[in-house]
Amino acid sequence: MTFQERFSLNFIEKGRYKYLLSGINNTLLITIIAAAIGIALGFLIAIIRSTHDTTGRLKILDFLCKIYLTVIRGTPTTVQLLIVYFVIFSSVSRPMLSAFIAFGLNSAAYVAEIVRSGIMSIDPGQMEAGRSLGLTYPQTMVFVIIPQAFKNVLPALANEFIVLLKETSICIAISLRDLTYGTQLISSQTYDYMFPLLAGALIYLVIVVFLTWLFGKLERSMRKNER
Amino acid sequence: MNGEVLLDIQGLEKHFGDNRVLRGITTQIRKGEVVAIIGPSGCGKSTFLRSLNLLEEPTGGKIFFEGAEITGPDADVNKIRRKIGMVFQQFNLFPHLTIRRNITLAPVKLGLLGREEANRRADELLARVGLPDKANAYPSQLSGGQKQRIAIARAMAMNPDVMLFDEPTSALDPEMVGEVLEIMRELAESGMTMVVVTHEMGFAREVASRAVFIDEGVIKEDNAPEKFFTSAQNPRLRDFLSKVL
Ligand SMILES: Nc1ncnc2c1ncn2[C@@H]1O[C@H](COP(=O)(O)OP(=O)(O)OP(=O)(O)O)[C@@H](O)[C@H]1O
Ligand SMILES: [Mg+2]
Repeated sequence: MTFQERFSLNFIEKGRYKYLLSGINNTLLITIIAAAIGIALGFLIAIIRSTHDTTGRLKILDFLCKIYLTVIRGTPTTVQLLIVYFVIFSSVSRPMLSAFIAFGLNSAAYVAEIVRSGIMSIDPGQMEAGRSLGLTYPQTMVFVIIPQAFKNVLPALANEFIVLLKETSICIAISLRDLTYGTQLISSQTYDYMFPLLAGALIYLVIVVFLTWLFGKLERSMRKNER
Repeated sequence: MNGEVLLDIQGLEKHFGDNRVLRGITTQIRKGEVVAIIGPSGCGKSTFLRSLNLLEEPTGGKIFFEGAEITGPDADVNKIRRKIGMVFQQFNLFPHLTIRRNITLAPVKLGLLGREEANRRADELLARVGLPDKANAYPSQLSGGQKQRIAIARAMAMNPDVMLFDEPTSALDPEMVGEVLEIMRELAESGMTMVVVTHEMGFAREVASRAVFIDEGVIKEDNAPEKFFTSAQNPRLRDFLSKVL
């Protein structure tokens, strides 16, 4: 078979490229929603943990957060995904919802530690300056500390979301039709592994390169403020 | 000076573990006074100053601000701090905000001024500290002296009744010390009540209405500058002055 014939067989005939398209769609959707959950929950955990570290308050919440982080970071993501899909949603088949939750909770743990290190790296004088003006602790956190911490950890966060995007490929374990699964669906019909997998790899690569560029641009525009 | 008492400090103590830094400080700060706090390094000058707006929590004694105890359990720390401005040795400007936003952040977020009103006030204050064209700059674009003048403007934006300065010129290159002291002198002349921890003996002598020597956790001398610098009674102060003058 010529290159053209193999290409046509794998991607054109019977509209097989659509497996890849809907796969990209699902992969991106899972990444975006999991990242959103990860950011929201991760920032919350980071604020609780760093508030505890600097003021000694929120002991119980801090303890719960620590358990959460230990469990999430101490078990494989695949196992977490399988637990959400087969155990928590055992009676209904909800692969997408399971992926949102599993990757969202997983990502939150990593985001939390990144953001916490960002908060702890801010000079304590910033909190004191805010408080000395009469701003409350939460106000100073929101308007003074978090914006600076966010800027500092943006590269690490960007990296975390790129890892997340690639890690969603383990959705194959719950037969979720993401990009990786799409390549396998094509292979199962054409008995060709190389073309679909290389196409899948190339698509991941293009998305990652694009995201890297996007985050870099965002970072540069945020840095402009302080040269 | 016999203005009303703004800050009444009674037997103030602060211990860090078994390091007894402040061992019973009693003094009053009256309206319009400029009090210079002087003492050897590590004697607790910063700790004393930071206790006045409760950045340090006293371990003993009482502080009254405008007649109300601020060291009690149900004092509203945030309300009190609005009226007590503070200027730090390291400026502590907010690097992610423009100068204008540095100055307006607190009044706006605390709902004391609308955004436009606050901006107008910021412009006034910038003119007052001699930096009218820096509103849109970021802190990193300013010199140390300029940063400290902005920090003073930021504290003044809250219309405080008293301003605390913790070695405001110690982090500055020598050629920038003068511009900051000049702003502080003007502030003092406008009637602002000020408590200034300083190593600038010239400033203490010329601008302060009272000089206080803290040593071994207590006030060892508390006197008008003329007497403080020329006829000090306390031998430790005499020794200290002979080293720094
Ligand atoms: N947060 C803290 N925890 C423990 N010890 C502290 C703390 N802050 C200050 N101290 C101790 O309290 C003592 C007084 O410190 P302080 O900063 O008030 O001195 P200072 O007179 O301002 O000195 P300097 O002239 O160097 O600024 C020092 O021995 C210092 O080590
Ligand atoms: Mg000090």
